Amino acid sequence: MNFEIQHLVNNYPLILQGLLVTLRICAASLAIGTVLGLVACFMKLEGRGWPYRFAVAYIDFFRTIPEVVLIFWVYSCLPLLFSFRLTAEASGILALSLFASAYLAEIFRAGINSASRGQVQAALALGIPVRVIWMRIIMPPAIRRMMPALISFLSELIKATSLLSAIGVAEMAYQASVLGSKTFAYVEFLSAIAVLYFVTIFPLSLYVRRTNQKLAGKAGH
Amino acid sequence: MEGSRVETSSAAAETPVVISVENIRKSYGSFEVLRGISTEIREKDVTCIVGPSGGGKSTFIRTLNGLEPINEGRIRILDYTLPGWRKETEQLRRSVGMVFQSFNLFMHLTVRENITLGPTAALKVSRDEANARAERLLDRVGIGNQVDKYPGQLSGGQQQRVAIARALAMEPKIMLFDEPTSALDPEMVKEVLEVIRDLAASGMTMLVVTHEMGFAREVAHRVFFMADGVLSVDADPETFFASPKDERHAAFLSKVL
Repeated sequence: MNFEIQHLVNNYPLILQGLLVTLRICAASLAIGTVLGLVACFMKLEGRGWPYRFAVAYIDFFRTIPEVVLIFWVYSCLPLLFSFRLTAEASGILALSLFASAYLAEIFRAGINSASRGQVQAALALGIPVRVIWMRIIMPPAIRRMMPALISFLSELIKATSLLSAIGVAEMAYQASVLGSKTFAYVEFLSAIAVLYFVTIFPLSLYVRRTNQKLAGKAGH
Repeated sequence: MEGSRVETSSAAAETPVVISVENIRKSYGSFEVLRGISTEIREKDVTCIVGPSGGGKSTFIRTLNGLEPINEGRIRILDYTLPGWRKETEQLRRSVGMVFQSFNLFMHLTVRENITLGPTAALKVSRDEANARAERLLDRVGIGNQVDKYPGQLSGGQQQRVAIARALAMEPKIMLFDEPTSALDPEMVKEVLEVIRDLAASGMTMLVVTHEMGFAREVAHRVFFMADGVLSVDADPETFFASPKDERHAAFLSKVL
């Protein structure tokens, strides 16, 4: 078997286009997932009442079902239940947003819960308005502590976009498999995108590893 | 120090009442932590609250700025009432400083930012003025050279002095200290007590929950004894430490003296 680089040279614009679609979907689902996740997070932080129960059910549900099922469901079942049809990409973004929101809600909640009660009380005791306490006392350390989890989740999300090839979204994995079937150069295209995924995701893993080591070092003091 | 105390003590009789506590009660579930406490504190009073652990001292002092909501009764502090609306409670807290056992400094902010946050965010003091206050107060508590460090870089005693400066930057009328030296290594207790002692000498109205009996005896105008959620003794320090009022008080004194 020979590795014919020529296939890649001829078709790289399509692969890069696919990468662009992958990143675009990631950005969109991350944005929508963050908004939904924040809502779910604060509902769950209530600790009781129906918003709390709804949030718990929502988070458990979307963290439990496989992403592929969610993607197929949004793409195939939603149009049957409601009389509108989303494009494949929009369906994919919606499905991944729901998936992201459930995970992000838990990450946000853990970060906020890690805020120091004592520091919040000290700020309250100074008569600092609650809004300022959130912005200056609770959020900055919470965000720093949730960064590793957020970045790990971002890697998961990037990987999950490849599942959208199953509903025909022209992201990177889809482009590679289509090009592969056209040219029979599967090895070339699939290896190429494997490398591209690696190059995209590995720096994120490195960041997470480095930050976790730093946090562990700090805790050790 | 002895002389100045007697002097302020006699003057205290004429100063206005700044804290008035009316029969407050507080429960955690079925456990009643504060079982009907009433008292009055006058301007410039230095009151130490002592008693066995779990007797309600810390809970009591934390009700005075609304950090612990009360179930029954009423507290009047300066021109404010507890329980009250959130805005009123915020106003009250700006006039009543609090220092905690565990310092509770904002670890992600520098010493300067710890001190200037309250004045700028709550009192709308200008940044320049807040900075000037921070530097002046840090000099006063003896750590003027630490202004750009982070709390994590300071010793416990220095952190507690920053916490005191942070509270004083609000220019409060009343200061509450909740076991300010209990979390400190023994060699750092003195430096913090000295700062509190200076503050008392300056005429600040203060309530101090403490286990430091020497400090209470020396600095306080009044000493409260709290046990089982009841404020059972309210006396000047000589009387408090010399003539126990009941068995509980006597048992406590025999343990701590």
